[in-house]
Amino acid sequence: MKILIIEDENELADSISEYLSEENYLCEFARTYNQALEKIESFHYDCILLDIMLPDGNGMNILEELKRQDKQDGVIIISAKNALDDKIKGLQIGADDYLTKPFHLSELAARIYSVIRRKQFGNSNTVRQNELEIDLLAKTISVHNHPVILTKKEFDLLLYFVGNKNRVISKSTLAEHLSGDFADMLDNHDFVYAHIKNLKKKLSEAGCESYLKTVYGTGYKWEG
Amino acid sequence: MGRMNKLLNKSLKSFTIYALIVLATSVPAYYYLVDSIWLRELDEHNEIVADRTENELNKLELTVTELNQSIVLWNKIQPGTNLQKTTLDKNRKDSTYTVLRKNPYAAHEDIDRFRGLSRVIEINGEAYLLTVETNVEETEETVVAIAILTFFFFVILVVGFLILNRRLSVKLWQPFKNTLTRLKAFNLNSQTSITFENSNILEFQELNEALNKLIEHTISVYKTQKEFTENASHELQTPLAIIKNKLDILLQKETLTDRQYQIIEDINKALTRVSRINKNLLLLAKIENHQFDGSEIINLSELIEQCLEQFKEHFANKKLSIQTEIEKDFFITGNKILIDILISNLLLNAIRHNSQNGIVRISLSKTGLFISNSGMKALETENLFKRFKKHSDQSSGSGLGLAIVEQICKRHQWTIAYEFHQETHTFKINF
Repeated sequence: MKILIIEDENELADSISEYLSEENYLCEFARTYNQALEKIESFHYDCILLDIMLPDGNGMNILEELKRQDKQDGVIIISAKNALDDKIKGLQIGADDYLTKPFHLSELAARIYSVIRRKQFGNSNTVRQNELEIDLLAKTISVHNHPVILTKKEFDLLLYFVGNKNRVISKSTLAEHLSGDFADMLDNHDFVYAHIKNLKKKLSEAGCESYLKTVYGTGYKWEG
Repeated sequence: MGRMNKLLNKSLKSFTIYALIVLATSVPAYYYLVDSIWLRELDEHNEIVADRTENELNKLELTVTELNQSIVLWNKIQPGTNLQKTTLDKNRKDSTYTVLRKNPYAAHEDIDRFRGLSRVIEINGEAYLLTVETNVEETEETVVAIAILTFFFFVILVVGFLILNRRLSVKLWQPFKNTLTRLKAFNLNSQTSITFENSNILEFQELNEALNKLIEHTISVYKTQKEFTENASHELQTPLAIIKNKLDILLQKETLTDRQYQIIEDINKALTRVSRINKNLLLLAKIENHQFDGSEIINLSELIEQCLEQFKEHFANKKLSIQTEIEKDFFITGNKILIDILISNLLLNAIRHNSQNGIVRISLSKTGLFISNSGMKALETENLFKRFKKHSDQSSGSGLGLAIVEQICKRHQWTIAYEFHQETHTFKINF
């Protein structure tokens, strides 16, 4: 899987690439607007991470260029701006997702995973891991071909883990993912534990192997 | 404000006092002038009378007896003059004097003033002392007459001042008033400069120019400051993102111990708080800069229900019971994102500052939106909506939640009030 990281901040680009390259993602970089234009013209990427604030141009134009060239690359905008009209405009022009800095790499990985799956597998978008089958479109799962009913949040968590296979994800990261902006306002993150406990229970009752491991006391890791 | 005086009234007062002093001092001056003219003229008159008397008597060429008889008669019928034989030297200098005496002929008991001249005259070779006295206006009467006249002119002056003042204050101060009206209407938040009318009066023109300069400077400082908040927040996003991402990578190291994991987790939590404060500062700056459109029509009832749904698990987590009394399909006009933030912030506060097994009550009707929760003691109302004022000893929270709530209310021209009653905190919003 090829990813293009259009980001002028080297440290940020390096971190993203380091995190992603452990999965079978191959990352390429574009530090400037012009470099980015060159790359998208000559190559195809499975997903493009686009910082819309570049020193020599507006990332929105890259998005427009992609659309003009009728490219099917998935695009996730990463921006320091939380401006809603940017978000709406970006999604209208054809971006698949929008992420505001600062974000967790696991959050980014989960979104890249979803975008690529959606782009490439279209109508039959199912993920398999041995006995576990996840239908990303219908948002249902089955174990040994028997459906297991998950709540919205449990399904969301499961997808997050699958998008971050073999990575340690801390409880606070999950809390941020689940409660959005408000995580730090909540005095405890026990609600994360409650959801995970339920998810684990439902999976094991259906006869699924325990792929979800607890590490360091409060961290989690999906093995697969 | 104490008693305020108009500027022109102030100068009017000074002018009036000055006129009063000048006119008052003019009274004795006029008196001395008039009096001395009086006396000089009378002295002249007396001298003429004396000269004539001397001449006429000599011309008659009377005999001694006739003369003596005439003098007796003279002294009887010519009051005010007196002729007597004298031993005084003929060349004695004339003497003049002023005397106050009762007038025996006047009906009223009055003392009159007389100006007299005594002169030695020669009739038929003999020396006689002639005194001539003429009534002269009394001192008091002169003073009173002058004072009355002066006072009359003083009144004319003051009335004139008042009329002029009224006309001038309208006319002269018109440009000043124009400037003032514009200044009063000026709002720094709107960031639009004022244009003053040109005046052909130097002072006002200078004032307008100085004000223009001041306003432009203020606007630019204000803008810079706002931009600073916005830019600072923006600039912080990237380093925060780098720290966050590096921590995520560190978390994947296989040699990590439980203790190290915990440290990373603590940093993560602090970092999330910093990010939130940063975002909230940005949000505040944007609200203040009117960067949010406010013309959407929103079903507030639905929005509140959605927020409640979002926080359901957190209510359950603290075993809070929710009592709602929400009018169906309550529509308001505003900005959806902001109103969502407003409700979320108030609900989050109601959850966070609640006791275990407490109550959260939400009611929405025409009287307003009420969000209440159980609590032990009243919050300090004075700084409640100020930035970074902590109202509890809980360490989490950005310290900006209520400031944002207040700003959002202001943006929509709603009022928000807080009260504590029967161990319940209540925030009330009037639409």
